[in-house]
Amino acid sequence: MSEKPFFVGYLPAPGPLRMFLLAACVLLIAGLGTAGYLMGAAQDDPGPGAFRFDYGRQTVTGVIEMTPYPVLHVVEGNDRIMPGDSFMMTAAGKSGVDSRAMPLNGQLAQVSGIVLERGDLYMMQLRGGRNGLRAAEGDVPEIPTEPQGRWQLSGEICDGKCLAGAMRPGRGLAHKACANLCLLGDVPPIFVSTQPVLGSEFLLITGPGGTRLPRAAYDYVAQFITAEGEITKRGDLLVWEIDTDTIEVTE
Amino acid sequence: MSVKYTPVQWNRNKWIYDAVMLAGVAAFLWVFLYVTPEVLNHDRAINPQIHNARAFGACAFVMLTVILCIGPAARLDKRFLPLLYNRRHFGVMTAFVAITHAGYILNWYFNFSSSDKYVGLLYANSSFGQIAGFPFEIFGIFALVCLLILAATSHDFWLKFLTPPVWKRLHYLIYAAYFSVAAHVSLGILQDQQNHLFTVVFMLGAAAVIVLHIAAWLSERGEAAAKDGAWAKVAPVGAFRDGYAKIAKLANGDRVAVYLMEGKLSAISNACAHQNGPLGEGKIIDCLVTCPWHGFQYDVRSGRSPAPFTEMVPTYRVRIEGDMVEVHPDANPPGTYVEPVPIPTPPSSEGVTA
Repeated sequence: MSEKPFFVGYLPAPGPLRMFLLAACVLLIAGLGTAGYLMGAAQDDPGPGAFRFDYGRQTVTGVIEMTPYPVLHVVEGNDRIMPGDSFMMTAAGKSGVDSRAMPLNGQLAQVSGIVLERGDLYMMQLRGGRNGLRAAEGDVPEIPTEPQGRWQLSGEICDGKCLAGAMRPGRGLAHKACANLCLLGDVPPIFVSTQPVLGSEFLLITGPGGTRLPRAAYDYVAQFITAEGEITKRGDLLVWEIDTDTIEVTE
Repeated sequence: MSVKYTPVQWNRNKWIYDAVMLAGVAAFLWVFLYVTPEVLNHDRAINPQIHNARAFGACAFVMLTVILCIGPAARLDKRFLPLLYNRRHFGVMTAFVAITHAGYILNWYFNFSSSDKYVGLLYANSSFGQIAGFPFEIFGIFALVCLLILAATSHDFWLKFLTPPVWKRLHYLIYAAYFSVAAHVSLGILQDQQNHLFTVVFMLGAAAVIVLHIAAWLSERGEAAAKDGAWAKVAPVGAFRDGYAKIAKLANGDRVAVYLMEGKLSAISNACAHQNGPLGEGKIIDCLVTCPWHGFQYDVRSGRSPAPFTEMVPTYRVRIEGDMVEVHPDANPPGTYVEPVPIPTPPSSEGVTA
């Protein structure tokens, strides 16, 4: 019988066992490094959304409309944001600006903040207090509202801010709890359609009759669903009144 | 076995063990954090906080996988036994890596809202009635709690305080933690991945743990089945070598180590009173068997540690039937002296392989 190498914890490892252990240690370290590479390199592209700090602070004037989520229809723009544009607004963090915007519903207001941009999805994170949103003087133009009929759409309910670039990635099931927190904090919800709808991939979602997104829809946030509802074009923004009774999860 | 209390009894092997494990963890994190962003080459990078959270989370999963592979690997091939030596330190490292992952998640996904982040963690997603969209964070919380319990009770103080059987059962929580982590990953990040390489690595890791455990179980079940009966057969007389043991697994699952020392056979429990280390893997030095894990020593005739130490393990009766050495499955109380049984013909100095 050959002498089996015998390891005693407080003594140096025997010669034959030493080589085996050396090989095991090298393999362990190399294996962990390789696993780190494979798992790290397998991460998906988080998409093009981002805070556009490179644009600098943007200040424009427009008409506030509560859809019920606050939207600004631009009247006086600048070199980036043109008159006729419509965009959603949020506050810093996972909060909306409903309490500040509500008293100005239907009125002219000046807004100031940082833009979040993802393709044709535009959103502005307003500065705090009156620096971010205040009443402005001037005539209030009529904002066109064009019903587009009832549509069945497939896609995903997201919170508009993370999707627009506050978080990368800002959608998907791993992000569901964060999205729910944003929606509970009055950040506008967005539907990401699998196919462009009337030229747009993103639609602001509300409940039926212009109510807030029903709580029943929160269970479906970040899942691929099919649902029906009326689409209305407000300014240049599409608003989808989702009928929660028609929501179906798709594989 | 100590007359002077030392919190951690360091020696060169422990330093090497910890250094190797730390090097492995550092390699994983360095590659994930600093090499893969260059490879990914996204137009807009993943948020650093999310990238960091993923790195530490993935690392904790791989570390847990390694920890759970070491045990069955050592049961299948004794050369892996030294990897068990300081595994508790690797477990504590895993707890630290996992809590770093949790910290990044908590301070990013659950921060910046009007509610407390810990409260938000528990109520933000309450879709418990569905698979897709299930609040997978709850599995991560459970696994983290398990890891923290294991890390907090990993010290010898708790082994002594709880007694080895209780301590061992408590530390089976590692399996609950692993299953919980698997659910956490499966219902979380795997639901979103478009690139399935991560899924493949995850499944290979989990499969390695399952396959190794099944292989070790089958191997030991075969050995136990071969040794069933009132008196358990151990090995032919000629298979014994002076200074070493043969291990028998009894029908009740206990293991007995039968030693040949100076031409006589003695049997004691295979589980060291310190940490259930495999005494049967130990060698008799100065008439005492030395546990391979931490060097605790016992007289194989009485199961007692030499004075002034007080540790004791159960002893067993031994007999020789024909050419076969057998052990009685009823254990004597720890420390009970049993007269060694002389073998008819001493084996040759070269020894005989079983």
